[in-house]
Amino acid sequence: MRLHEYEALDIFEQHRIPVPRRGVAQTVHEAVHVAGEIGYPVMLKAQVLVGGRGLAGGIKMASTSQELKDIAEDLFASEIKGFPVRKILVCEKVEIAKELYVGVTIDGYSGKPVIVVCTEGGVLIEETVKNSPEKVAAIHIDSSFGYYPYQARGLLKMLGLNQQLVTSWSDVIGQLFNIATSYEALIAEINPLVVLPNGGLLAVDAVLEVDDSALSRIRHPLPDRVDRIENPIERRGREIGVTYVDLDGDIGLISSGAGLGMASMDIIGQNMKPANFLETGGGITADLLYKCMDLIMMKPGLRGICINVYGGINPIHEGAKGVVRYIKEHNMKIPIVAKALGNRQEETWEILKSGGVHVVTDPATESAIDRLYELVGKG
Amino acid sequence: MSILIDDSTRVIVQGITGRIGSVQTQWMLAYGTKVVGGVTPGKGGSTVEGVPVFDSVMEAVKETGANASVFFVPAAFVLDAFLETIDAGVKLIVIVPEHIPVRDVVKMRSYAIEKGVFALGPTTPGILVPGKGKIGIMPASLFAPGRVGIISRSGTLSYEFAGILSQSNVGQSAVVGMGADPVVLRNLADILELFEKDEGTDAVIVVGEVGGEQEEKAAGFISRKMSKPVAAYIAGRHSPQGKRMGHAGAIVRGATGTVDGKQGALRAAGVEVLESPIHVAGWAKKHKLS
Repeated sequence: MRLHEYEALDIFEQHRIPVPRRGVAQTVHEAVHVAGEIGYPVMLKAQVLVGGRGLAGGIKMASTSQELKDIAEDLFASEIKGFPVRKILVCEKVEIAKELYVGVTIDGYSGKPVIVVCTEGGVLIEETVKNSPEKVAAIHIDSSFGYYPYQARGLLKMLGLNQQLVTSWSDVIGQLFNIATSYEALIAEINPLVVLPNGGLLAVDAVLEVDDSALSRIRHPLPDRVDRIENPIERRGREIGVTYVDLDGDIGLISSGAGLGMASMDIIGQNMKPANFLETGGGITADLLYKCMDLIMMKPGLRGICINVYGGINPIHEGAKGVVRYIKEHNMKIPIVAKALGNRQEETWEILKSGGVHVVTDPATESAIDRLYELVGKG
Repeated sequence: MSILIDDSTRVIVQGITGRIGSVQTQWMLAYGTKVVGGVTPGKGGSTVEGVPVFDSVMEAVKETGANASVFFVPAAFVLDAFLETIDAGVKLIVIVPEHIPVRDVVKMRSYAIEKGVFALGPTTPGILVPGKGKIGIMPASLFAPGRVGIISRSGTLSYEFAGILSQSNVGQSAVVGMGADPVVLRNLADILELFEKDEGTDAVIVVGEVGGEQEEKAAGFISRKMSKPVAAYIAGRHSPQGKRMGHAGAIVRGATGTVDGKQGALRAAGVEVLESPIHVAGWAKKHKLS
């Protein structure tokens, strides 16, 4: 779960990382009030949970209250990369001598936490990393010993920084590492970490993404995870315990396993368009697949459905009962093709056929998608 | 010859008294796997599917001579049970559960490597050696004995590839799920090395997916060390972008993680890249594998 910038900034401030004066506004009126307390000029930052917000027009400066009203009205009425703007963070505008970058993540390959620093932060950080690798340094942290400040000092010295900056920056890195650890963060990041004209540092942005699998044991207050999913079908998917991603096609998909689901989307994408990605995980029951049918049918205009499941850990014969119950209760007419192989497959096929599902028994997913294509036509 | 499972493999099932643990024990036994014991703290002295249950891994190992373990333990308790299993001397561990906190996996991986334990997962279907046995949840009906190795990040896609090959009369020497989590207990290159050394394997299929850098790193290993033909499929070309948060991951990884990046790295290492699972049948025919 990714936190909003304003939530992450509060956490960073509690951990003694210097952050700007700021306030959150849900209306234009509130934005004017916050700006009045901070003093103009101010920065207005749309609070949306998507990257690349600055380049998409979600960050603006206002020098007067009239300008602020116009910008805030526009922002509240807009969407940034498809996400509606419900809150705006109003921040003091600071003088920037230099922009730095610092991030903490888990390196998947080495399986260790890693601290990454770059002497040129800002919106174009990824280009900087590609084109000027000498400005980037990273250090892996051994989980049995943890982080020590000398590691950050050495990292920053390597980049050729002066001692004042090395000292203040290594403090920030240490605090960020502590936050990443205690919040079980997949990513904790400051971009940019601004160097002020007086040499001080200020975190003018904050990214914190918490490990969903660790939510129940993190001992800090956190916002509700389901609430913040904007798409209603995706939110419902989270409630019933499956991964649903809304897409713009018209072929519904239920798969058991993320890899199988992605491969199914790739194959559907050869001549049709998937309406969704849905991955059940290893907890299939009759009830879960009934709910999955209901979930994918929330999207209007489906022309056909592909069910692609394996009976390894999942009792697919149970799942089949839920699918058939849904079909009968809702008198469904659109074609449904199922490929269901593995433990108790024959039993599963009989149940599915009793609900009018077209069952394919060939092990390649193409066989199911080709059959569906014959049934729904080109559309 | 085979990798990871042979006649001396003796398996304990951790979490054997749970709903999934007991069903999967039944399937493993039916496939001929030597399941010699189970562990559930507090349930010692009982039996499941005729298999004795112990309170601790130490007792199970002492009484049964077990040298491998498979986990059906709730995610929150996996780290503790994993450390216990390593301390009891078990050298092969399969972690089936999903949703284990990544910082637990970091500790598990570090301890397993330090102690020379070969562990797979989390979120893995395990290992299946056709005709010999299986440690995990793979559905036996899709597999057939033969000489092609499969390594997959995705569980269900490993079944898909095995099923397509078996239907084309191309059997498998072993099928290994490496796990689908962002951090796994063994990297892809380590498993490729087992197949390269295995006399019973003539060729290897890598089933990858978008994200991470396992395939890119494995490409380096393949070009330096692999003499056997390798084919690869990368799922996720049509997966939606924009779920990526923040930069730190991307910065560490550079340009890696995309389907094109992975395919390019693998091709440069001499790997035949398959655009869809079904193409594996033609690849096997071309290399006269059966």
